[in-house]
Amino acid sequence: MESATSRLLASAIQVSQGAEAKVFKAYLHPCEFASSSTSPSDASDGRTPILLKYRFHKHYRHPTLDTTLTKARVAGEARAIIKCLRHGVNVPGIRMVDTAQGVLGLEWIDGKSIRLLLGGGAEGEDETTEEETEDDSHEIEEEDPFDEYGISEDDAMRMIGTEIAKMHRADIVHGDLTTSNMILRHPSSAKGLQLVLIDFGLAYTSTLAEDKAVDLYVLERAFASTHPASELLVASVLKAYQEHMGKEWLPVSKRLDDVRLRGRKRSMVG
Amino acid sequence: MLSFHHHHLPAHIHLALFHPVSHAAQIRARIVRASQLEGPEGDAEREAVNFAFIDARLITSTLHLQTAIHQAILAEAQGALRTKTVHSEILWALSPNNNITEAIRRFGVSDNTTALIVVRVGSSGIPDIEHRMKAIATGDIRPLSDLSKLTDWATVKKYYKLNADPAMKAPGLSPEQQKLVADEIVVSTVAMKSVAA
Repeated sequence: MESATSRLLASAIQVSQGAEAKVFKAYLHPCEFASSSTSPSDASDGRTPILLKYRFHKHYRHPTLDTTLTKARVAGEARAIIKCLRHGVNVPGIRMVDTAQGVLGLEWIDGKSIRLLLGGGAEGEDETTEEETEDDSHEIEEEDPFDEYGISEDDAMRMIGTEIAKMHRADIVHGDLTTSNMILRHPSSAKGLQLVLIDFGLAYTSTLAEDKAVDLYVLERAFASTHPASELLVASVLKAYQEHMGKEWLPVSKRLDDVRLRGRKRSMVG
Repeated sequence: MLSFHHHHLPAHIHLALFHPVSHAAQIRARIVRASQLEGPEGDAEREAVNFAFIDARLITSTLHLQTAIHQAILAEAQGALRTKTVHSEILWALSPNNNITEAIRRFGVSDNTTALIVVRVGSSGIPDIEHRMKAIATGDIRPLSDLSKLTDWATVKKYYKLNADPAMKAPGLSPEQQKLVADEIVVSTVAMKSVAA
């Protein structure tokens, strides 16, 4: 635990934890640098935080295998993100990579997850997280949470469809499209209002309509299991998706019908 | 000149942006000569040019520069340098491909460089570090906030192969937004250099 990156992790604040990785908020670069002109001594303020995704050691795996897998996954996630960036998909930028430690540093996105905005409760993989459900989730206000972002719920759904279509056109399949893996970036941030797709830990490259259809199916199920009246929401998402997929929509659409009937897994018979 | 260090990294960083620089060819010649000199004289000369010299026109933002320096120091701390020194590693980190010679030729000082970033990665107590920088690079020391005015976007786009990217061709992108997009791709490319496909 003496490495540079572990010292960085030690200074970071944990944000959430899943089965595969812990997520931290940290400050990567010293403050003098950030505000290049004056004010050398004001700490965290004015500095931009980053998000650290730390794939911790899995003690149930053989150490050699663990290192190899972790390295491959950090690298894979970074590659999927850069491909998305180059294709104009809104994803967090990469800030640092340390495969030896299993750490991926990403741009901090200021905003809220779609899951929260739709009133789906706090994010987090219900079992593994402890009592860190403090934040914004339990504001019992009847006003539309999307008002703060200056858009309607339907606008947000269309933004989701657009972003997924851009990603699929780049032949990237996300692998875990859920409403908690989509963040609405606050309009006050430098890049303005955006729908940002996050967590490319399960992403892979594929040209197959089948894989893209399964991606959409996973999203449909995620909506159905976390949000009431999900059919209307999903319909908006798919409508925007269809508009942005162009001629690629038809094969995906046909596949999606098949997938809906049989579920995510293909039949292994034959 | 700026001196600082990352809390989690062992090395201290000293850097300065020089602009306008009129004698880049001499600087380059001096670095080349330093590498060829032998004996104590050579050691002294090598110490005098023991900096990373970065062509400021290829830097899109302070974050771009920071990211390259950070990844280079990280590699050094892990004993994973791919080039001979941490200074050349910064140039290599900036370059989107794996050719070290090309990285140095493109991102280092060249004969027509007019704005130069001089970086020293080392201990905190280097005496007269600013003086030593000025002994090599003449020109005014400018604040890093000037970087954005000096960027040569056409060359950046060429070197980082951004022109073919759909992200840059998205409709309705203002020139300012396009720069933000380009900067994000460039920064991310540098950050993930160690695992680039």
